[in-house]
Amino acid sequence: MNKTRTAALAALAVAVPLGLAACGGGDDDGAVTLRYAFWDDNQRPALEAMIEEFNTEHPDITIELEQNPWDDYWTGLDTQFAAEDAPDVFWDHVSRFPSYASNGVLLPITDRIEEDGLDTSIYPENLYDSWQYEDEQYGLPKDWDSIALVYRLDALEAAGIDPATVNDLEWNPVDGGTFVEFLQKLTIDENGNNALSPDFDAENVAQYGIAQASGTGQTDWWNFAVQNGCSLQSEPWGPYAIDEPECVEAIQFTADLYNRWGVSMPAEATNQPNGGLGAEYVVAGQAATTMDGSWMLGTYRDGLDPGTWAVADNPAGPVGSGSVINGLSNAIYAGTEHPDEAWEFVKFLGSEKAQRIAAETGSVWPGIASLNSVFADYWSEQGVDVSGFQAAAEGTTIGYPLSMSDAAFGTAALDEFNQVWLGQKDAQEAAEAVVEIANAEQ
Amino acid sequence: MQTLHDIDRPPRPTAAPRVRPTRRWNPKTTIEAYGMLVPSIVGFAVFLIAPIAVVVALSFYDWNFLSDPEFVGLQNYRDLAGDDRALRAIGNTFYYVLLNIPAQTVLALLLALALNAKIKARNAFRVVYVLPWMAMPVALGVIWRWLFDPINGGLNKFLALFGIDGPSWLTDSAWAMPVIASVNVWQYTGYTMLFFLAGLQAIPSQLYEAADVDGASKGYRFFKITLPLLRPAMLFVLITSVIGSFQVFDTIHVMTAGGPAGSTATLNYQIYLESFTQRNAGYASMLAVLLFAIIAAITLLQALFLSKRTVYDFS
Repeated sequence: MNKTRTAALAALAVAVPLGLAACGGGDDDGAVTLRYAFWDDNQRPALEAMIEEFNTEHPDITIELEQNPWDDYWTGLDTQFAAEDAPDVFWDHVSRFPSYASNGVLLPITDRIEEDGLDTSIYPENLYDSWQYEDEQYGLPKDWDSIALVYRLDALEAAGIDPATVNDLEWNPVDGGTFVEFLQKLTIDENGNNALSPDFDAENVAQYGIAQASGTGQTDWWNFAVQNGCSLQSEPWGPYAIDEPECVEAIQFTADLYNRWGVSMPAEATNQPNGGLGAEYVVAGQAATTMDGSWMLGTYRDGLDPGTWAVADNPAGPVGSGSVINGLSNAIYAGTEHPDEAWEFVKFLGSEKAQRIAAETGSVWPGIASLNSVFADYWSEQGVDVSGFQAAAEGTTIGYPLSMSDAAFGTAALDEFNQVWLGQKDAQEAAEAVVEIANAEQ
Repeated sequence: MQTLHDIDRPPRPTAAPRVRPTRRWNPKTTIEAYGMLVPSIVGFAVFLIAPIAVVVALSFYDWNFLSDPEFVGLQNYRDLAGDDRALRAIGNTFYYVLLNIPAQTVLALLLALALNAKIKARNAFRVVYVLPWMAMPVALGVIWRWLFDPINGGLNKFLALFGIDGPSWLTDSAWAMPVIASVNVWQYTGYTMLFFLAGLQAIPSQLYEAADVDGASKGYRFFKITLPLLRPAMLFVLITSVIGSFQVFDTIHVMTAGGPAGSTATLNYQIYLESFTQRNAGYASMLAVLLFAIIAAITLLQALFLSKRTVYDFS
């Protein structure tokens, strides 16, 4: 046998098992396998516990978890839709919902909800309604989240600040208010002087008052925007309106924390997507506070000793102390081969039984209103009062922007505002540029 | 004495033309040969030709992955003229290639010369310089990102020892691209060096001996013997590394994600952004066709300039 022939046979030997492997994976006799996609590693244990519970009633439905980190989750999902090979059930986010619903990749569940007589009043109305598009329901609420101020108790103690005062901080765009003063006291140089001291060395800061980092704006400037009466859009589904004066003022205030007051961890270190997150700098002790989402609580629990950190209400701006409230849903892929089983699973995930499991592990605020106390109880057992997130949800809060051009807005906003945080661009100019790009696709 | 002939000007044949051996078409061996080729032809068609054809076709469509593609003719191509981001990405790509290729090629050549000499631990050095190329680009990108971190990064902490206030390398639009280029130079220089080393070892030592007899200087030997005889290696290195650097992706994705303010978004990265964050798959396909055309044109130019094949007759 000559060399070429040996090589060809070797190539075949490699190719054949590949071909065989591609043929596997079918379901046998009545048993059904559903693929369930999600992104948050913190919630995996809760999901596994829920699936175990689901299988006691439905032993013939196997759930396969498919996990992808946030950044890869959506690109993966989009290409799976294109290949018509998407997971049967998946976590949906408000930012993606409009384009998914309008392009027909989500299974409408309005009729199924009616047929099964599902009581949807257990979900907060705005949370439930945010998954509607053209009179059809496209998912059941999985959870909700809001933003509150997370801070290091030990940093406050060292700065001589009474934690009881943190819930009543106020900011304004003119002189910064008590919020900026609070952050100045927490911004400390290597000689131990704070930012209010005449000897403060701004070049060698050991601890900043706040770390601001957000890939969208949700955990940085959106908060100040909402607290200043800016609602990001003219109306839900409408064009973006962040060039309005109340929005630009809030963007400028965010930039001021970096550049005018020097109390924010430098933008060089926090600009997304490649900078560190607020939680990382707080856990590392380089920042004393950060505005963070309720879904991040587990990171603080795992990174810090109990009793060294706490959650406070957001600072109040000129119109209030709200934030942007958001939630996720469990959605069904329109092209699923097992719509009935997928609906059974989604119905279960939306049930009190399932959401109690999530709430008991403290992973996320549950989508069912009556279970909020279960989540809060978990955290009070950990020594953390999480009512700041509820206060934020009840404040002058707005929903997450609903728009078909979320992707264009998100990319443009990050591009432009990163420069504003670095002190390289004017807030008004940046806001106008973002609006122009985002609304061009309307 | 050795003589060099360019193949472009071959010596006139003096003997009678060679008689070509007659070849008979043998159906049996032909079928057998094509049978052997089938697996690789199928692979080639399915994994290379088909995707290219699909991308070219998609460049005439508007497609968001979710609904059916819509034919828009040349609209994507026409939109390019008004697309500042894409045009900037083209500029960024050339800037990156210019930062990357000359430095990488010269360094690799110098290293090859040094490691071709009889020095101690020569093989150990050769391995060390190739190591970065053997490592995962994404993992390296993450580590370099830490090193270049403006506050906690190793580089600025090191510079601070000498009282130097280091810039914010990856968030400063003037620095970001040079930093990315230097990381890639670091990563690929050792690999490029290997080809120069092979080229150097293929140069017959008689040439240098003869030059020594003639009393040629080191510089003269380098420019008249080494460099000309490295031409095949140079051609290969330049073509592959230029194509590679036009397609740079992973380092950028991990270290800057195209930022700050789009200053490190090369054309290849812009294709990714357009398709997978903006869901403009048709428009991104048009950009991919454009990148293909640019690379093809440049490769053709390189081949024209460098491919005068030289044959060496040492008889």
